[in-house]
Amino acid sequence: MAKDKNKVPDNAEKKKFSRRDFLAFGGAAVAGGALAVYAPQKAEAREKEEYPESSKYLICDSKHCAGCYGCMIACSLVHEGQVNLSLSRIQVHRAVLEQYPADIKINTCRQCPEPLCVINCPTGACHISKENGNIRMINADDCIGCKTCIKSCPVIPHRPVWNHLTEKSTKCDLCTDTPYYNKKGGINGSQACVEACVANALKVVTELPDQTDSNGYDRNLQPPRKPMPNFFGPPKAKTNHG
Amino acid sequence: MATPGFGGKILLVNLSNKEIRALDTEKYEPFGGGHGIATALFWEFCVLPGDWDLQDAFNPKNMVALVTGPVSGTGVPWGARTSVSGLSPQCYPIQWFSHSNFGGMFGTFMKMAGWDGVAVIGRAESPVYINVVDDKVTIEDAKDLWGLTTWKCQEEIWKKSGIQYGQEWQEIDDRYTLQRPAIVTIGAAGENMTRVASLVHGGGSGAGQGGFGGVFGSKNLKAIAFLGTKGIKIADPKGLKDAREWYDKTWPSGPGFGGFGGGAGEVNSCCIACGHQRKCHNRTRAYSQDSDDCAESTWFSLTKEDAGGLDPRGPEISLMNRKGTDIVQQLGINGMETCFQGPMAFPTSHNPDFPIQPEVPAYSALGWYMKRMYDMGIIGPGTKYDMSPLNMDKFPSMQFMEIYGIALANRYGIGNMLAEGTARFCEALGRTDDFGTICRQTMWGFMDHWSMPGVDWAYGNLMDSRDINSHDMGMGNPSGGFGGFGGGGGKKWTCEDYVKVLAERTTGNNHYWFDFSWEGKQAYKTGIFSKHKAEFVAWRQHYWTYYKESVGYCDWGYAKLFNNSHPKGYGHTPEAEPKYLNAVTGRNHTFQDGLEIGRRAWNLKRAIFVLQGRHRKMEKFTGYYYKPGASYCGFDADKPIFDGKNWEWKNCKELYFTEDGVEQWKNHFYEVEGWDKDSGYPKRKTLEGLGLKDVADVLKSKDKLA
Repeated sequence: MAKDKNKVPDNAEKKKFSRRDFLAFGGAAVAGGALAVYAPQKAEAREKEEYPESSKYLICDSKHCAGCYGCMIACSLVHEGQVNLSLSRIQVHRAVLEQYPADIKINTCRQCPEPLCVINCPTGACHISKENGNIRMINADDCIGCKTCIKSCPVIPHRPVWNHLTEKSTKCDLCTDTPYYNKKGGINGSQACVEACVANALKVVTELPDQTDSNGYDRNLQPPRKPMPNFFGPPKAKTNHG
Repeated sequence: MATPGFGGKILLVNLSNKEIRALDTEKYEPFGGGHGIATALFWEFCVLPGDWDLQDAFNPKNMVALVTGPVSGTGVPWGARTSVSGLSPQCYPIQWFSHSNFGGMFGTFMKMAGWDGVAVIGRAESPVYINVVDDKVTIEDAKDLWGLTTWKCQEEIWKKSGIQYGQEWQEIDDRYTLQRPAIVTIGAAGENMTRVASLVHGGGSGAGQGGFGGVFGSKNLKAIAFLGTKGIKIADPKGLKDAREWYDKTWPSGPGFGGFGGGAGEVNSCCIACGHQRKCHNRTRAYSQDSDDCAESTWFSLTKEDAGGLDPRGPEISLMNRKGTDIVQQLGINGMETCFQGPMAFPTSHNPDFPIQPEVPAYSALGWYMKRMYDMGIIGPGTKYDMSPLNMDKFPSMQFMEIYGIALANRYGIGNMLAEGTARFCEALGRTDDFGTICRQTMWGFMDHWSMPGVDWAYGNLMDSRDINSHDMGMGNPSGGFGGFGGGGGKKWTCEDYVKVLAERTTGNNHYWFDFSWEGKQAYKTGIFSKHKAEFVAWRQHYWTYYKESVGYCDWGYAKLFNNSHPKGYGHTPEAEPKYLNAVTGRNHTFQDGLEIGRRAWNLKRAIFVLQGRHRKMEKFTGYYYKPGASYCGFDADKPIFDGKNWEWKNCKELYFTEDGVEQWKNHFYEVEGWDKDSGYPKRKTLEGLGLKDVADVLKSKDKLA
């Protein structure tokens, strides 16, 4: 039976906390949309110990991103077996005519300490995977395609991704479930996006990023710069025209 | 059903009758992709109807086709180019079927929408743009976009798309995207049908050579926008990842040198999934927001001091260069063809007999030539050519450069003559003799890159329709620097060992392909006039036609025969090309299979040339190629020379062609290609062997078959 993808099932109406609620409650969407400051709140949320922190987090360096979309291509390739920017669970958005550094935004799943996508999922498909280092991930078999996780995500743009081919939600699982990956991914493996990055602008870290600062997930990941090999020889400063 | 890696459809739009058709890509796959497919499309829709003379690029019957290749958007490094093909208004004296290409996001976004290319014929009654969102294609009114700069035009189309940068996902029929459309557009130079107008995409990607911006203008076509939410099928996703890792492991340093955007370690943004060191654009530049390339960044290097000798990026001069780059990009001007003086501000030959005297910079074009004509009193006060709106007293200055660009793009005053391009500007002045001297035309209406002593590059120019702009095979001493952009530092190579590597990596295993002997009998026996050199140029053209212009591999990454970072000196050619392609497409093609596809498209193009009027008699270099000193300015002057017994590196800066030698070489080349020696026309046997019997029949009906 074809299901109404946009209809939230009855049990989902009992959602604990919606994205709209969150923003209204006190979360502040930062201009540009990369981050909403995650204000601790509970409403009807369960005890915090029910939400163990993820053991790993994907962070980025948007100021050094090459804007090549290699991470997005790799992500959709290893998860879906095709290249599809719309299915990538990491989203780079490049606006070439904007001034640096506002010209590139990188949107990675934050593996939130209090994951509204998990809390609000009506079926438990979106869950904390204890066997995978407490990553917040979606079990496709249990997903009913209600988009509650998408609507619950507290940041803009939302990090769970709608897969229009399967009519289910997906999200970054740090490459845990990657049928098209040529190596082991996940918490003790590698991540296709990090591997694909030519600019060292993605990294997986173990410590919980700062939740109160927009730089928590987006920070300088570069080693100290080496002098640039100058093909043209030493620059000349002298000119007749200023 | 389309092969994996392809979008599966090609969009054909007739702007005259607003007909929109989706062609099946599979039919055209024997031509590879990109330029090869565009050549086949041109043949089918512009040649076969037989209702025009194939002479005027601005004729509505001309086609401009933007086609990408199977690796574009798949994550293959250096593989995101989109080819632009059609009759070129820049080509001279005949507006040959020619091509250009550009990078960035366009090809990938086109494929994400399910299309491998878009071909446009006809002419709209009023300005329009073509808008594609997945399968939905519309011809939109562009009256409000006409007159806008390329950047402003893109911003307006983005606004119309409704997708806001940095905001929430946009829903398209229950599919979602965060991306805004990828747009290719023209500026004033294209709208006014100049012959030096480029197509601009994003902030800095552009197809300059050929003047295809003017073809857009002639069709009243302001822009083409693609937005897609579909995927690209990959035959072997794991194999593709394996291939990428194999590459990284084998060539950890990548090929070539860092891009003009700043080199390794800089903050750059560039083509989709470009890899390693090649980064063409620099995000941080205040003026050229995202635009930077060799010619464009130095378009307004007005004087040698501005060009900074060899360095276009001095702290002060760079400001002016970047401002100039912005002008080029926003007006949609081909910076390479119209620049004053680029980065290679070498003096020309020291040889007093060399015809290019007084000194001409190695990288100069229309701007420089105009200034020279002014200095010589050919144009300006006291002549019939008024310089307005240019105030030559303001040369050089920022103000001057802006007015030069605006006048050129809008055909104001002297700009109307300049807008015709360098060759036609010469012609208008009655100075076509300058082609072979101070105007420095390679042939066919293109400024020389100063390709010599790269004779294979020069021969490629001669046999094609433009400066082939092919930087891949310098074949200089790798211990000295370039070495086909694969050298520099590391192991010292004997000439013989080096040539051995090159021969092996081409798969031709002929050492003499790389002999640059240019004097005496050896030049005819194994050197630059020999059959061996003809074979190598043919190999190179076939490679170039398929792997670079059709598959979409970038000139800066391919071919690479040599790499000094590899223990055996191996470059990634011939392994990387088919390895990536086969993973994407699921084919089991060999490197040689690709060359054969390239040969098919190359011969089809030859047939178009012949129908346009190409004949052996026309294929001659301009004067300075035949003079001592022709190679003085070229990079990579140390070349392999075989003296009959031994190989050794020799400085070839005095290398030049002889007319007899070139004629002998042409005999060999036509024979290698299966073309008639007297006319240069393809033979039936050659065409039929490539599956082009119908092409042979058409040539026969026009009395153009050998």
